[in-house]
Parts: sequence; structure tokens; C-alpha cells
Amino acid sequence: MELIDKLTVLADAAKYDASCASSGAPKRSSKGKDGIGATNGMGICHSYTPDGRCVSLLKILLTNFCLYDCQYCVNRRSSDVPRARFTPEEVIKLTLDFYQRNYVSGLFLSSGIIQSPDYTMEQLIRVAKVLREEHQFRGYIHLKTIPEADPALIAEAGRYADRLSVNIELPSPDSLIRLAPEKQLVSITDAMGTIESASQESRSDKRAPKFAPGGQSTQMIVGADASDDSRILHTAESLYGQYRLRRVYYSAFSPIPNSPASVPMQAPPLLREHRLYQADFLLRGYGFKVKELIGAQGNLPLDIDPKLAWALANRDIFPVDLNLAEPQLIARIPGIGVRSAERIVSLRRLKRIRFEDVARLRCVIEKAKPFIITSDYHPPQATLESNVLRRQLSDQPAQMALWG
Amino acid sequence: MQVLCCEDDFECWRDQARQLLRQDIAPHAVVWEDRDHRQLFASEPLPASTPMAGPTAQATRIPARLLDELKRAAQYRVSGRWNLLYRVLWRVAMGERQAMLAGDRDGSELQRRIKSVSREAHHLHAFVRFHPVMGRGGLDYVAWHEPAHDILASASLHFAERLGRQRWLIVSSRDAVWYDGETLHHRQPCPADWAALAESVRDNADPLWQTYYSSIFNPARLNSKVMQGHMPLRFWAGLPEGRVIPALMSRARAGAQKDGQAEAVASKSGKVIRSAAYAKDDSFAGAKPDAKRPD
Ligand code: SF4
Repeated sequence: MELIDKLTVLADAAKYDASCASSGAPKRSSKGKDGIGATNGMGICHSYTPDGRCVSLLKILLTNFCLYDCQYCVNRRSSDVPRARFTPEEVIKLTLDFYQRNYVSGLFLSSGIIQSPDYTMEQLIRVAKVLREEHQFRGYIHLKTIPEADPALIAEAGRYADRLSVNIELPSPDSLIRLAPEKQLVSITDAMGTIESASQESRSDKRAPKFAPGGQSTQMIVGADASDDSRILHTAESLYGQYRLRRVYYSAFSPIPNSPASVPMQAPPLLREHRLYQADFLLRGYGFKVKELIGAQGNLPLDIDPKLAWALANRDIFPVDLNLAEPQLIARIPGIGVRSAERIVSLRRLKRIRFEDVARLRCVIEKAKPFIITSDYHPPQATLESNVLRRQLSDQPAQMALWG
Repeated sequence: MQVLCCEDDFECWRDQARQLLRQDIAPHAVVWEDRDHRQLFASEPLPASTPMAGPTAQATRIPARLLDELKRAAQYRVSGRWNLLYRVLWRVAMGERQAMLAGDRDGSELQRRIKSVSREAHHLHAFVRFHPVMGRGGLDYVAWHEPAHDILASASLHFAERLGRQRWLIVSSRDAVWYDGETLHHRQPCPADWAALAESVRDNADPLWQTYYSSIFNPARLNSKVMQGHMPLRFWAGLPEGRVIPALMSRARAGAQKDGQAEAVASKSGKVIRSAAYAKDDSFAGAKPDAKRPD
């Protein structure tokens, strides 16, 4: 099979993994050195595909042959897809070529499980090792970890990779049993634990070799089973806490070719996925707890974002006086982000905040208006009932993409 | 009214602005003309100021951060760009520190320009497409990139960090940068032979990359608005993948595709794996890579 045909198949097989981040790596540079590659901590999106997703890494599978039969996965053994396998050398060549042409900032390599979990993991490690040691490649490397692989192999992977990930796949253990019969929740969480303790060891000893400095991430598939958003977010929160995950990715289940009857054949629930990312962002960046955003059961509203939903449910806190409030509370106002909150605080050291000052910042002023007080403004809507306000502020579908 | 020109050069503008401050000349009494669009008068040299022993009281009130921000905002291409910078400098020197902050009328504009400039640097880092030239012209890689602001000189060293000792050239219609493996050189205007070299490769396709791009796209999630928000149309022509976007979108829109699979994959024949075949490693022929050497 020609390289280009393999690439066609093995990129297609990798697209269902949402992660493509090249962030979180320590600063590395090849300036004046042999070899190539740099990382700067932030990551770069080198392109966007027409689905609006960032292309930051060469994201491929080593092979889409797989022994397992996960129902939601296009590569499951019972799926009638074309199969291919790269040699490690082919992956290395593609990575270096794409990197130098500035298409990508590194490699995200995953694989179907062939022969055995250990064998598969060894193949992935080999690619990373040759890139680092023979080619002195300093770009970003993200390796998928096979949960059942020997912990010693996971430890080895972390020496070459910036990021490791083990996918939790489904938010509930029951669904995992039903839809991914060969996988076990405990192997998945054990692997996360192995990564976290190896990472802790390397962090606590400055002389120890670096271990996956970009941390670990995971992915949950949304909409392949009946789990609600509450379950998904609570699972995410506990993973963040227990294994210090850098990111949880949510992947709206896309119907797959030759779909088995056990998974839905509907269009992917993209708006739901979007709301989950918004809620996740509030957990990581704004100090929200899941229980503030959602009850013990149920889903996030689709018509308004989770921050606005929280504000509407907590009207007694509002309106907030921008000249007096704590920065953390300002950042909790709908339409005002952390960055704008900081700017308001620096500005108010110099002058009283007026409404037009807020309008000039990068805030969604229409959303913020009912919730703020400035030296010259008090919201007329302050007494409006929450459900009326909600109708006024709910997202038109076209505006959805602008949130952030 | 004094009319000045600084050749769109920050150091030159800074010297002029420093003199004007010393002479207490307010922003409304001075105007800078753009280098490329001189309209009013030939600019007169500034009257020499009385030499000063040390920095004036005003100069000491200017925070270092402001100079840095003015320098960055100066890369923003807009006619009359230098006038705002002097207004901000003047107001801060007069004690109005909010003139450099985002909530202020001038400060907002200053910050907006800085943000656009840094966004344009990100665009450079993201969307430059290097074409290998195999030593032609003493170079390894050549790119054509058209930034909207004057960022090429200040933002290109990034590629020396990525590419180590390799030698490369980035050309725009205004200027160019060349890295010889050790040092970065900036030329404005761009020398004609550099432009010709870049011109000769700028439209080269790359089937491998275009294939990757087409295959990693999920047609079941089509959302061209978000794509365009992040990757403005003006860059598409310079990207090998830009040329396949219209076809990918129209096929996804036609709705032939209800699932996420790439069309090129759907047209190949499939292979179900009978798990019994995996019991023995030897019978695993189907998954062996077809390279000669064993792995
Ligand atoms: S292990 Fe499951 S999810 Fe992973 S490639 Fe195989 S079938 Fe797909």
C-alpha cells in the first residue's frame, strides 16, 4: 500500500479523538543546534478543518487493525473499514516533513491494539524514541497510552512524550461494560494513576528526568450512551481532582460507517458538546464547582450558556457593583471573562468605572448589562424575572460560535 | 501645526516624539504623515531642541511598559498610525496613566492595535507554508506569506527555534526575512531575486498534506463559520490545504455523508477482523507493515 493511501486511512481513523493540543510543554528551542523542533507552552493551531477544529499535530494511528470490539469505534474488529499499518519509519518521516513545512507542531500517535497491549505500546514508544534520540526532535509528542500495557512501558513512554492520554471513553462503568466489552474501568484508572505518580516523582525531584511535562488528558464520548451531563461533569471533576488531568475532552458521538445497533445513528450532538466545554472551562478557569452548575441529575440548558444559567439561578448576588466587587466575582458575571475582569480592576485603581468603559472592553455587553452596576448605570432589568430575562438573552444559533 | 514623517520607523518616531515632549508640543499641534501617502507638505526637520543634560521631568514619568507597547502598536498598519501613539505618550507624560489602558478612549485603540499585531504574529507562526528547495539559492525552505501588519522582522525568529540550523526565506510583497542558519536578516523592500524564488514555489501543492487534511476533517461536523473565524479567508490562497476546502465543504453540504468517514476511505474496500486469527502471532499477516525490514 502506498504511503498516501495509508495516510488516507489512518488519519480518517484518528479523527474521532478530539484532542489536538500542543500546549503545556516546557520551552524548548533548536536555535543554533542540530535537530529540529521547538515548544513554547502555548501550542499553535496551524490550520483549521471545515468542521472548525484546530490542526496542531499530525494525528494518526500507527494501525487501525484492532483486536477489540468497542461498539462506538470505527476501528473495532467487526467494522468493515479499510485497514492499514504504518511502519515506525514512515510515521517518523511524515512527522519531520510536516513539521519542517510548518503544517504541524508535532505528533499525536495512537493505535489499534494489535498482538498484545504491550506489543502495541512498544511500537508507539519506538516512534517517539527514534524521533527524540536519532533525529533530536524537540517538537511536541503526544502518545496514546494503552491501559493494559505494563506500567514500565507507560513510564518509558513518559520520558519521550510531552503528553500522555488514556481515554476514559464513557462516563459510566455500566456503559463501558456494555459498549467496550474488552475494556475495564480499573485498567483505565490504574493507567492514569501510574502516569500521575510517575509525573509526581519527576516533579518532586529536580534532577529526575522529565516525565510527560505536558501532563495527561482524557476523552469522554458524549451521546453514545444515555449518561446525562451531570454524570459527565461529575466524572470529569473527579478525574481532574484524582489524577491532576490537564484536560478532559468531550467528543460528540459521530455516527460511524456500518454502525452497530448498540450506538445511535444521529447527527453528533454538537451544541451539547459545546455546553460541556463551556462548563468544563468554568471548572478549570473560574473556580466553579460542578454542583454550582448542575444538579445531581439532568443536562445543561442548550439555549443559554452555563455561566448565564448560574447567574439566573443566583439573582440575589446581582447586580454586582464593578467599582466595589472582588475580581473573582466580576469574572463570574455573564459576558465578562477573567481577562476583562482584570482590566476592570486595573482601570478602577485610576478612575470610577462608567458604563462606557465596560462597553469598550472585550465584553459581551448585552449579556452583562442586567447584572452590573457602574458609577452611572443601574440595570433597569434588575427586577425582571429570571425566565423573562432568559428569553431575552438566549443564544441565537448563529451567535453560538462566538462564545469564549 | 507641525508636519512630520518618520519613514514608518519606530526609532525615528521615538526621537521625534522625545523632542516634541521636551518642547511641550501638544498632540493637536503635530501630525505625522505616512511614508507611502504623503499629502500635506514635505516634512520639515524638527527645530533642534536645546540640548539637555539629563532626562526631563516628563521623560522620567514614562513607564518602560509604555514604550514597549507603543513599539508593538507601531507595527499596526493604518494611515496616521503615529498620531495616536503620540497622543497616548503625551497624556501619560501629563499624568493621565489610563491613556494606555483598555477602558480609555485612546487606550482601547492602543490595546486593540497591539492585540491585532500579536494576532498577526500568531497567523505568521501558524500559516507560513515552507516549500523545500533543496539548497537552491543556498536555502532549505522558502515561503511566501502576506501579513496584514509589519510583523515579519519582529516575529520571524520563531522559525529559527523550530528549524535549528536550516536556512530559510520568508517573502512578502513589502519586505522579507532570510535566516542563514545563524542570523536573521530583514530586507525592505524585498530583493527581486528573493521574490522570484518565492514566487516560483508559492503555488506548489503537497498531495500528502492535502490528503491528511481531507482525511482528518469530519464531514458530519461541518462548521465553516468557526473555521473562517480562526483562519481568515485572506490566507487560504497561500495554504496548500486552502485549495481543497471548497470541495470538502460542498461534498459535506451535499449531505451524501451522514457519518464522519472521509470519502476517500469510504471508496476503499473494508476488512472485518476475525479475532480467532489473532490467537497465533504468526497468522497476523494482515497487520504486518509492508516494509522490508522486520520491526
Ligand atoms: S481498542 Fe476500542 S477504541 Fe481503541 S481502536 Fe480498538 S476498537 Fe477502537
